[in-house]
Amino acid sequence: MADALDFVEIDNFGLATVLARKGNGAAEIGNALGAEVAVGPRFIPGSTTLLGCGPGHWLAFTERSEPGWHQAVAGMLKGLASVSDQSSGYVVHRLSGPAARQVLQRGAPVDLDPSVFGPGMVATTVIAHITVTIWQVDDAPTYFIAFFRSYARSLRHWVELTAAAL
Amino acid sequence: MTRLAKGGLIDRTKPLSFSFDGKRLSGFEGDTLASALVANDVRLVGRSFKYHRPRGILTAGSEEPNALVTLGVGAHAEPNTRATTATLYEGLEARSQNRWPSLSFDMMAVNQLASPLFVAGFYYKTFMWPAKFWEAVYEPLIRRAAGLGELSTLPDPDHYDREHGFCDLLVIGGGPAGLAAALTAGRSGLRVILADENPRFGGRLLSERHEINGDAAHIWAAGAAAELACLPNVRLLSRTAVFGVYDGCEYGAVERVSDHVGKPASGQPRQRLWKIAAKRAILATGSIERPIVFGGNDRPGVMMASAVSSYINRYAAAPGRRAVVFTATDSGWSTAADLVAAGVDVAAIVDPRGGRGEFQTALLSAGVEILNGAVVTDVRGREVRNIDVRLADGGTRRIQADLLAVAGGWNPAIGLAANLGHRPRWSDEIQSFVVDQAPKGLRAAGAADGHFSLTMALADGLTQAAVAIEELGFKRASSPPLNANDDPCSVSALWHVDQSSTKAFVDFQHDVTDKDIGLAAREGFVSIEHLKRYTTLGMATDQGKTSQLNGHVLLAAATGKSIAETGTILSRAPYQPVAVGVFAGPHRERWYRPERHTAGHDFAVALGASFMDSGEWKRAQWFARPGEAHWLDTVNREVMATRRGVGVCDVSTLGKIDVQGSDAGTLLDRLYINMFSTLAVGKARYGVMLREDGFVMDDGTTTRFAEDHFFVTTTTANAGKVMQHIDFARNVLWPELDVQAISVTEHWSTYAVAGPLSRALLQKVFPNVDLSNGALPFMGATEFQWLDDAARIYRISFSGELAYEVSVPSRLGDRLMRTLFTEGREFDVVPYGIEALSVMRVEKGHAAGNELNGETTASDLGMGRMMSKKKDFIGRVMAERPGLVDPNRPALVGLKPVERSQVMRAGGHLLEKGAKPIAANDQGHVTSALHSPNLGHSIALALLARGPERHGERIVVHDPVRGDDVEAEVCSPVFFDPEGGRLRG
Repeated sequence: MADALDFVEIDNFGLATVLARKGNGAAEIGNALGAEVAVGPRFIPGSTTLLGCGPGHWLAFTERSEPGWHQAVAGMLKGLASVSDQSSGYVVHRLSGPAARQVLQRGAPVDLDPSVFGPGMVATTVIAHITVTIWQVDDAPTYFIAFFRSYARSLRHWVELTAAAL
Repeated sequence: MTRLAKGGLIDRTKPLSFSFDGKRLSGFEGDTLASALVANDVRLVGRSFKYHRPRGILTAGSEEPNALVTLGVGAHAEPNTRATTATLYEGLEARSQNRWPSLSFDMMAVNQLASPLFVAGFYYKTFMWPAKFWEAVYEPLIRRAAGLGELSTLPDPDHYDREHGFCDLLVIGGGPAGLAAALTAGRSGLRVILADENPRFGGRLLSERHEINGDAAHIWAAGAAAELACLPNVRLLSRTAVFGVYDGCEYGAVERVSDHVGKPASGQPRQRLWKIAAKRAILATGSIERPIVFGGNDRPGVMMASAVSSYINRYAAAPGRRAVVFTATDSGWSTAADLVAAGVDVAAIVDPRGGRGEFQTALLSAGVEILNGAVVTDVRGREVRNIDVRLADGGTRRIQADLLAVAGGWNPAIGLAANLGHRPRWSDEIQSFVVDQAPKGLRAAGAADGHFSLTMALADGLTQAAVAIEELGFKRASSPPLNANDDPCSVSALWHVDQSSTKAFVDFQHDVTDKDIGLAAREGFVSIEHLKRYTTLGMATDQGKTSQLNGHVLLAAATGKSIAETGTILSRAPYQPVAVGVFAGPHRERWYRPERHTAGHDFAVALGASFMDSGEWKRAQWFARPGEAHWLDTVNREVMATRRGVGVCDVSTLGKIDVQGSDAGTLLDRLYINMFSTLAVGKARYGVMLREDGFVMDDGTTTRFAEDHFFVTTTTANAGKVMQHIDFARNVLWPELDVQAISVTEHWSTYAVAGPLSRALLQKVFPNVDLSNGALPFMGATEFQWLDDAARIYRISFSGELAYEVSVPSRLGDRLMRTLFTEGREFDVVPYGIEALSVMRVEKGHAAGNELNGETTASDLGMGRMMSKKKDFIGRVMAERPGLVDPNRPALVGLKPVERSQVMRAGGHLLEKGAKPIAANDQGHVTSALHSPNLGHSIALALLARGPERHGERIVVHDPVRGDDVEAEVCSPVFFDPEGGRLRG
């Protein structure tokens, strides 16, 4: 199991919900942030990445957050989007290794086949009755998976069981 | 031993020992339990359900009705396992079922003598009267006597998991048609999943003697499976039974991961549930051979002809020494040829039709007597010994034999195609039902579509795959043709032998006879669905795979209708029995549902917390200290220590929602009965929201942090519901508003710090925040930085004390909790749980979950005056319905027992003194009751008719379930500090 799956919690990330205000969209928000913002359940990697979660709805994510990061994002998007810090609301894990896709597929009822879901794609779905947001960052494949902090024990328990059955 | 000297797809270098009813036996790798029993000459394997008749093995597949055994022992025991599908493994232990004291001598077989009692509908007819005997006598009696295997009643020691499959084409069944379809689709680049319930692919190619492209058919099948395994776009699932078709082109399947190894390897599940989403699916499930209904057709030694061929060709096990073949179809003649080739003596072929030239010559030369135009009338012997035949000329013949192979024709295995309500169509050509309309994306192919000859089945597999390939926009790869020897497959169905004199069975597993069908028809149960329920035909674990059609044909005959008019039942999922554990997967016992833990959970554990469930959340109920004998002692201490000093309670589970945007205030005005657009920045306000029907939905405080930013809190229980409600309002009701909302419940850890010393404690922890009454008055809020992150303090009190709620990001939640207790030592700070929280809120008369029960209005809860007249809001109109504004409605009051030592309980009903305890006199009920350590007696909140006008009146709390009546004084719901001086302190 240890070789087949790497499931590592990451610290010090920044995560914030970005909800577009009336009349604004990916273009306006991208301009204000100086970043490219994809439309749909996708993302374009950057120092702050906007993960598409729904119409006018993103999770802004940075792997390394400085104090005040979320206020800075909120400041740049003032009047364009409502920003809520979620850096503590979620735990984020990096999932990689030869069995990463298989383990996720055993949990998530969305198609993770490389022909359908690849780097740059986001899915908000359910694993073991827990809402998760998954995004794939490379072809290895490496995924990030974010879920509400309070569910961490239950989700890790599922990962352990599933990895043991590989 | 009746193992043949050579042949079969078994590995003779790998012997396996196993036991049946304690007797040590041996088989080979590649055997099923059934084939190993056949090879060991075990013919009697079980007793039937109702009459306890001896039963043998009827089939070689998953349709088996008779050979049900209990596999494994202790907690691993699995009853009603079909011996025909159980892969043999070293050390397998199997036991027969439904017999006492032993399989060969079963006391319950006397049921046969009482068989007039057990006719169709016997439950309804026999056990009717007197009514109370049903539970006390009849049902226990029936349960003891009937039923097959028994559950171990121990917890299931095995694991189950699940997986999700996605494909362009799901091929259900890996026989000739399925393999041909999967090969074509796989080579053309489609994502293919091929699922077959067997351990190896090939279907009937493994059991019959055919050639494809010059190879033995089983060699071709192995080659095809090997090629498919090499295609990256193809997923092979052996030992995987597709059990159901669901909406949206989804299929349920169970993969038997470890059933064939006895004990799963460490961490391995026993079985895995698959949910497969398939754009197209091919139903290549083949067909099931049907029995013929004649006297003694259930005796051990009567076997389906196809099963006889399977045991000989696939497992090299001869099911008898001297055989008779009774066949209405050409395939029976192939079985006769298989028997001859295997060296088994074939006494006769009995075929009610005319002669079959292509086989006749060879069989005649082997000394087989051919009885055309004849029928088997009865089988004699507990196990087959003699077979009575009525000849074409009307004469009779008794033939000595120990095996009777029966071939009544073939029924396409199309149950799955009916799962979504599509009714099958009768085909005169093949004398069976075939798929007519099918679920979206699903097509039958091969024998499942009535193409019984091998050549046609292969061709149909290719054709159906080609249709899917084209529909999905792929280009079909060229494939070499598949040349097979052709096998004749004509049939003239024979359903029933009228001349039989002994019991003739239709449904073997439920012991339904031909006479039961006739009786049901005479008693008026002439619809197929009524017949099924009245006779229980097809309702056993095999779901009538071998019996259903014969029963329906007999009903048609009894009612003088055609089979097409009579119709057939719709098969429902699961098509094969599925262990319930596989649906639960890992979600059982502690992990039945996910658990949610607050950031302070571990520290609460360290403080000695006991937890209770609040939805998925674990919340600290109380923190017992050594020497406290009863939880009430603990709770009383926590309440008193908080009211006298300072206590801390984790309230992080309350729902929290950021509502932002230029119209945020407008939206909140429409959601709540009171105004929020007027709330000043830096202030909090209590609010109540109604459902559209006018009843209270939820309450909580909302704080304004900016002109366009409100922070809404909800109760723990309604956090999700209120979030949905807000999203519905802003997206559907008023999409024109510029307002955004998102749950931030998980981002914030929040602790209530309550008691006269709360300010002193917080001031010590946050020395740079001004907590004075002037800077932070009651219902004020402030934001500041703590450990480089945002923190907030709200001056809110649920306890009625000087109190604050302090919030930090959850990453810092544990840190803050520990800091509060370290810094609080000098104030003797205590942790308090939700029990103490409840005591304090009832002392203060705050409504909570017990009062916000979905049946109360704002007025009922004493908050009618909060309903703004200056604006519209959700629920306003419906809240004005006459029934909701009736002054006689029960409304919130407090109750104190007149005799202070008496205890009131929640749920008790309120009566006027002296009133009879009947529903007509009911005046309301107690919603919350508990002991107030501050007052030293029981207190309660209740909903009492015209309650607010009745303070001072005495009423009776009537609790017929748990105790005596208690006389109580009606009072204000606010028991403690009614002026509110403490919380403003």
